[in-house]
Amino acid sequence: MSDALTLPAPATRPAMRRGMARFLKGAAGVLFLLVAWQLSVPLVGMSSYFYPAPTDVVAAFADLMRKGILPVYFADSMLRYSSGLAAGALLGVAVGVLVGLNRTASLALSPLFKFLFAIVEVAWIPIFVIWFGYGVKTIVLALVYVVFFPVLYNTLLGVRTAPQILVNALRSLGASRLQVLRYAILPAALPGIITGLRIGAGFAFRGLVFAEMVAAKSGIGYLIFEGAQNQQTARTIVGMIVLGLTWLAIDLFYLRPVERATIQRWGLTVDAEQRR
Amino acid sequence: MLRIPAIATALIAAIVLAWWAAATVAGERKLAGIAAAEPRGNYRITLDFAPERFHQVRLQEAGRLVEVRGDDVFMMDVPPPALRAIAREYWVRAVTPWEGR
Repeated sequence: MSDALTLPAPATRPAMRRGMARFLKGAAGVLFLLVAWQLSVPLVGMSSYFYPAPTDVVAAFADLMRKGILPVYFADSMLRYSSGLAAGALLGVAVGVLVGLNRTASLALSPLFKFLFAIVEVAWIPIFVIWFGYGVKTIVLALVYVVFFPVLYNTLLGVRTAPQILVNALRSLGASRLQVLRYAILPAALPGIITGLRIGAGFAFRGLVFAEMVAAKSGIGYLIFEGAQNQQTARTIVGMIVLGLTWLAIDLFYLRPVERATIQRWGLTVDAEQRR
Repeated sequence: MLRIPAIATALIAAIVLAWWAAATVAGERKLAGIAAAEPRGNYRITLDFAPERFHQVRLQEAGRLVEVRGDDVFMMDVPPPALRAIAREYWVRAVTPWEGR
């Protein structure tokens, strides 16, 4: 039995110490940046509108929390993001499987997908605004569009590279098309789907900010835009920091564990992930 | 294998639930002693600060915002469920009946 199927050993003390050391080094880097930023403010000598200090940003964060603006904007953004991501991923997997298994569908749809893939979501947003107005529908649709293509292409790749020997073995045992899909094709495509999802999740996060700037009256993207418009630069920076931290949390608590689980389950070694 | 996402999701759900419960209790406290007028009433909503556009937009979803004076927002035609929703907001300090214009 190869290492691929063995479960990872529980984190040992040296591994935990290494992780802590890595965290402390990262925190030291952030702290250094903050101190340098704060010290540079009197040297730059500009107003807080042009160049806010970290203390201004902290004050803006506290103000946004006290006034209830940040929690509502954050919740709105996350709801739009998760809805768009889920719908885009489902659609991408479904169409990817269909196109991957059906030659007629592939011939009919591939040129269209290639054409649409070249048109970024930014170009669609004005049209979506005309069709659906400002608000959640337009934003979610834009996110679905962004997530759809990476998931579609990676699913397609996974479906087309599914080991033919497994498919043939199942067929020779009398498996139905659905069983072949369930027991051979989908498991083989899963690493591809997860890769597509991770790429799509990143694209969608960027798309969310732009869509909210253009088509929303709430959300973190709107906060960034509104802060700059109203000369509240510190609020804009709060929005940017919240976005960055949110992405780190999504990656750490959702994307990486799901990817790791897929890698382990479907036959790639654990070492590759641990070497990160 | 998917323990971390499950724990994270459970934690988020717990925070949202706790937030919602705390807001509901606080909202009921703010409305204690106020008989919500049926079908709609007029109220003075007092905040801890001068309302920004965000607050005015949120309050307009609940009823007719007719005046803003300092930290107070005067509203007409607010139905009881919308009043409870307003009172749940933690940035609302007090809700008092208002005779209207």
